[in-house]
Amino acid sequence: MAIDFSRLGEDKLFLVLSSADMLKKNNAHIIQTLVGRGYRVVVITTNQPSAVLKKHYSTDGIDISRVSFIDAITKYALGKIPPGQENCRFINSPSNLTDLGIAITEVLNSLAGEKTCLLFDSVSTMLIYLPSTNISKFIHFITSKLRLVDAAGIFLAVEKGLDPLLLTQLTTYVDGTIDMDVQQPGNTGIGGQ
Amino acid sequence: MNQSDGKKLDPGRQVWILVVLGMVCIGLEVVVHFFMRTAIGYTHIFYILLILAAVWYYRKALFVAIALVAATFITSLAVGDFNWATLLRAAMFLVVTFIVAWISEERDRGRLEIVAQKEAIEKEHYALVGYLSEITLRIKNPIKILRDNLLAIRMEFDGKIPDIDIVKMELSTQLAHAEQILSNFQELNKDVVEEHTEIPNAYRDFLTR
Repeated sequence: MAIDFSRLGEDKLFLVLSSADMLKKNNAHIIQTLVGRGYRVVVITTNQPSAVLKKHYSTDGIDISRVSFIDAITKYALGKIPPGQENCRFINSPSNLTDLGIAITEVLNSLAGEKTCLLFDSVSTMLIYLPSTNISKFIHFITSKLRLVDAAGIFLAVEKGLDPLLLTQLTTYVDGTIDMDVQQPGNTGIGGQ
Repeated sequence: MNQSDGKKLDPGRQVWILVVLGMVCIGLEVVVHFFMRTAIGYTHIFYILLILAAVWYYRKALFVAIALVAATFITSLAVGDFNWATLLRAAMFLVVTFIVAWISEERDRGRLEIVAQKEAIEKEHYALVGYLSEITLRIKNPIKILRDNLLAIRMEFDGKIPDIDIVKMELSTQLAHAEQILSNFQELNKDVVEEHTEIPNAYRDFLTR
């Protein structure tokens, strides 16, 4: 699948909408695209444990040494951290926005000077753990932080999984919205470059 | 309640209209009654002033009526035609003003009650829309995500034997999601039950169990 991030560089922040069944595949495609473009990727995961994502990325031939994780689901869902988890910070629960915010700030600071992109997987899963108003405020916090450190950011969400108000708010925080289920005209698709 | 909320005229213009009408009435009292020596007919004009004052300012219009009664009494005494007709005219000024003021006051009170009821209904409607929206966001959509995640896990078994440890982790994650969705639902039910005191205790217990 080709993903049109042709404006990545000029625009920094994107809301990427995907169908639920394609979310995991699209996540891997985005990572592949970003790593291919020389980005250092920080994945904030609330939907799948980082160990699962790492396994999928490895299967897809992605260089996972270029990928760091802020994992907010493993400790909450499994109750423990699996052994051998490198490049990964664990948060107690997806609803712990304070720790999540601190972890994001620290990771972004540690990667200062590098070409960094943050992938948030996913806004829709966060809705299981938090009211939409809190999520909107948190996404606003992250986007502001990303703009300050001049890093890119991609926010994954399930298409049709957001209410109109939240979608409007998120759209105003980012520079562009990409619907991965819609074939975009003139899509050069950096995945294919 | 001083003035009708449904009025179209601004208060400044109302005052000007009443002042002009008041001057016309006093002028008629002086010119027609005092100089022309007749007390017939012209007092009907007074009712325009009294009715407008009563519609706009309710019982405060009685002060205008009392002023007109005083003017009528003074000119009648000066002219020397003070009789039962003068008293009847004065009484009518007061009675008509009071009735119009009372009806206007009741009408506008009723209108305000309807507006308040309408606002309360709209508020409840917005609360309902908000509740349904939050239900959709935090229950319906997450269940869809859960279903699709489970489907994706199921598909991992197609044609191959997946890594059991990974599958266990994925299933544990989905279980955590499901537990949180259930907790959200109970929380929303609790909010509804707390807001609606008319729900019987048995159902209250059942909904929050």
